[in-house]
Amino acid sequence: MVDKRVFSKVLVANRGEIAVRIMRSAQELGLKVVAIYEETDKDAFHIMRADEAVCIGSGPRKDYLNIDKIILAAQQTGAQAIHPGYGFLAENPDFPEACTNAGLVFIGPPPEVIRNLGSKVIARKIAQATGVRVIPATEMLAPGAPGEEAALAFAAAHGFPIMIKAVSGGGGRGIRQVGDRDSLLTGLKRSRSEALMSFGDDNIYLEKCVNRPRHVEVQILADSYGNVVHLGTRNCSIQRRHQKLIEIAPAGLDPALTGEICDAAVRVARAAEYLSAGTVEFLVEHDGTYYFLEVNTRLQVEHTVTEVLTGIDIVREQLLIAMGEPISFSQAQVHERGFAIELRINAEDPKNDFLASPGLVEVYRSSAGHGVRLDGTIYQGYRITPYYDSLIVKLTVYGFTWREAVDRMARALNGFLIIGVKTTIPYFQQIVKEPDFIRMNLDTAYIDDHPQLMGYREQEREVEKLARLIAEINAHEKNPYTQ
Amino acid sequence: MQGRIIRGMSPTEILDTLRESEGYYLCNNERDVSQSDFKNRLMPMTTVRVAPYREAAGFFSVEVSGGASVHVDLMRKQVNPFERLRITRKAMPRTLLQTVCRGSSLFGYRHYPENVIRLTVREFARYVDVWRVYDFLNHVPNLVPVMEEVQEASRLLMPSICFSTGPEHTDRYYVDKVKEILEVTGPDVIISIKNYAGLGTPKRITQLVESIGAAFPGLVLHYHGCNTDGNDIGRMSAAVLAGVKIVDVADHGYGAIYGQAPALTLIQALDDYGKKAVGVDIPSLIQSSDLLRQERKIYEPFESPFRGHDPTVAAYKLTGGAVGSVFEQADKGGFLERLPEILTEMARVQAELGNWWSVTPGSQIIWTTAVNNVLHGRYERPSLDLKNILLGRYGPLPFFKPDAWICEKVLEFQRYDSKKWPQILASEGGIQKSGDADLKMERRRLEGELDRPVSDEDLVLYLQFPFDAVSFFKFQARCGKAWLLPPEVWFRRGGFKDGECITFADEFGVPHHIEVISTRREGANVITTLMVDHSFQTFSVQVEDPHKAQAAG
Repeated sequence: MVDKRVFSKVLVANRGEIAVRIMRSAQELGLKVVAIYEETDKDAFHIMRADEAVCIGSGPRKDYLNIDKIILAAQQTGAQAIHPGYGFLAENPDFPEACTNAGLVFIGPPPEVIRNLGSKVIARKIAQATGVRVIPATEMLAPGAPGEEAALAFAAAHGFPIMIKAVSGGGGRGIRQVGDRDSLLTGLKRSRSEALMSFGDDNIYLEKCVNRPRHVEVQILADSYGNVVHLGTRNCSIQRRHQKLIEIAPAGLDPALTGEICDAAVRVARAAEYLSAGTVEFLVEHDGTYYFLEVNTRLQVEHTVTEVLTGIDIVREQLLIAMGEPISFSQAQVHERGFAIELRINAEDPKNDFLASPGLVEVYRSSAGHGVRLDGTIYQGYRITPYYDSLIVKLTVYGFTWREAVDRMARALNGFLIIGVKTTIPYFQQIVKEPDFIRMNLDTAYIDDHPQLMGYREQEREVEKLARLIAEINAHEKNPYTQ
Repeated sequence: MQGRIIRGMSPTEILDTLRESEGYYLCNNERDVSQSDFKNRLMPMTTVRVAPYREAAGFFSVEVSGGASVHVDLMRKQVNPFERLRITRKAMPRTLLQTVCRGSSLFGYRHYPENVIRLTVREFARYVDVWRVYDFLNHVPNLVPVMEEVQEASRLLMPSICFSTGPEHTDRYYVDKVKEILEVTGPDVIISIKNYAGLGTPKRITQLVESIGAAFPGLVLHYHGCNTDGNDIGRMSAAVLAGVKIVDVADHGYGAIYGQAPALTLIQALDDYGKKAVGVDIPSLIQSSDLLRQERKIYEPFESPFRGHDPTVAAYKLTGGAVGSVFEQADKGGFLERLPEILTEMARVQAELGNWWSVTPGSQIIWTTAVNNVLHGRYERPSLDLKNILLGRYGPLPFFKPDAWICEKVLEFQRYDSKKWPQILASEGGIQKSGDADLKMERRRLEGELDRPVSDEDLVLYLQFPFDAVSFFKFQARCGKAWLLPPEVWFRRGGFKDGECITFADEFGVPHHIEVISTRREGANVITTLMVDHSFQTFSVQVEDPHKAQAAG
């Protein structure tokens, strides 16, 4: 018997586009939403979208990671549930535990599921137990000489290159590739200290490096009634330094392989006693061999491509599952049609190693039209601070065919007008006209294989240049260029 | 309109039409009017605004390029001279576009290497249908590379003979000069009489045209005059009645002082003699001028400090294209009150130096010499260009050498090797042909300056005006295509009022709106907030506040 957990007010323990995204679904269900913010984030768009807002501290960043302050904010506002979004506390098992202890509903998996799947080693064991192939890897490496010996033995057995991974890593962080004995031994030390700094846990392990794989993931939903469904695949192969840049749905595998991988994902989720929305990630070699990679126990940034393709509101389902409702559709009712592409328009300068480009958004005009979805977080006049994630708007497009989706993405990118900060738009404009991308010939080496994408010239609109010229004529009270 | 010459006709078809015509044709010399009466400041947008009427008016051609305009486009108007041609072509698709080229000096002030000349002509010939070509010493070899390239490009060639007055300027001289040209070009050209200063009487022009016509039956003649003395209608009428087929004219609503005389006045005058302007639609001609009368207000600051005609030009013989500019130079240099003295000196210098033609670059040499003579003593401060002309660097002096005392003052000026002028002349005189330019190296240098690939058009501009072309390219990269702005905005003085809206279309016809919301001064910065296509934008420009500077002063 499943307990129904009725709630009418949700606190969104996040900021930026994902906070806005969650609020939209919650408000559609008639729920009130509470935003939290740090003093350094007081002009953020998500605050304006909420029914109530609570400043939880001076910031930056530390208060969004402070479980006690967030729970206090929920209690002060009478919120009965908390949605963590992604990032910040979303994969910290202490957070759902603290919520439960405070009598609040955590909209996500239970703490023990996050804990188990958060450990790469336990997650691999769960996958192996269900018959899903995992990438050959070591156990957690012991510190010092014994760990080094085990690492060298693994290298002797599987050859180089090898990946050193932090047990508590995720989202592309805590991964290092090494190509020989010396870099393995120095890499072990460095990875340990980096893992300790980043995740508070210096445990690491080794994994065989899969050559030029495709990064494929499966969206799953699981409820308290034992129902687990998948919403198809996504291809997240286009990555820069293990950070996803562009995500595509479906992954473009042949139907039999797609079915096999989706079934494997559901098996892993069942074995992990999963609840809520999650993502099971795989690496797929060109011959179709696939390996379990990890499970992300949260909503993914790229969930929008799946939503666009299936028409299913994943956040709405998360909320309903958290209320004790069953998933509102069956596996047989999930249909995919066409292609969806999502990319992250960040306030970054691609020409300058994607360095964050904070500053005043002087002009913001977004794209629109058929098949275009925007999940944004800025507005004209907003000053992007250097303290937070540089994502300003997620652009997701749908097309009945892959080519239509690519053409639409190109058109949608051209429809933006963002002045004041540098963005990743010009870089994406190169990708959408690149022949391999157009042919959907994508793997994780795509960015490294196409360095020419960086050779673009930034184009400023002619009218902006002339506006600046008018400002000069105005300031000088005569045209300084006619003398 | 019957007999009208339009773009798409071959040079042979055009020449046949001209030969067979009983009437005469008009060339609208917008370029020379701009140069002579408005210091070359006419912006392309004015050309675009009047283009539909001019296209309908049925001109043989419109001169929109050449002379000093190429340099001034880059230097003072931030307009790409090639873009000017593209814009004009788009706005007047049927009318022939014309240029004037200074022979081996192209659109500049010195002789360029032959490969630069040929490349430049090839690039401009993609847009320019009719090429007036002249050399200020009437030295035909200086015209040859340009003429060859124009003919190679199947464009209409109009070699010019520069005309002046005086005992040396006989019909025989000019007939021989035409013969020399035709020996190079063949008969399928139009010979232009370049009466750059508007010299001579109508009677003198009649004699000249008749002499050339008699020597070369069937040769098509063009007359280019200027109206400095106010009598060019007389000379133009005489030219047409004597057999000239094309004359350069102005719109009556625009210019007509030191530039060309008005088209309609000429039409009305010749009508009485039974001579008709072929292809011309008079209502459209009037509409052009009605529009330009309004437009002219924008360019008023660039008009000469002296208004009205100057019949004394018959003595000082300065080209109409330079009159406004030298008056301005005198004004800015603080010696405007000595101008009558300088103009008298010009006439004297002209006669002393060989009575050749005071047209660019010769006009600058004579003017500078006259000014220096008045301000510093006769030939006490000779310029390098004066020295070069005495050395024959531009070509041989056509009639006679200056007196020995002038050669001594000029050629021995600041010489510390104790060489005397005859020695200097013997050892250093004559045209010094430079070798071809290293175009690959020049291209690399320009690409390095601009950090981008450059086109042949870019290269051609750079080769003629290295400093000003680079400045322009950098300006354009930063500020865009300034010609898109309405001229009244480009030349605005006193800033903009809050709420003022500037509307213009871009080169693809898409309209844009820039509204001035506010202007605020903060220290050395002037902050202008604009609404650009309905989005707010704020620009901060650092400028010395003129009001504060005044207060401090």
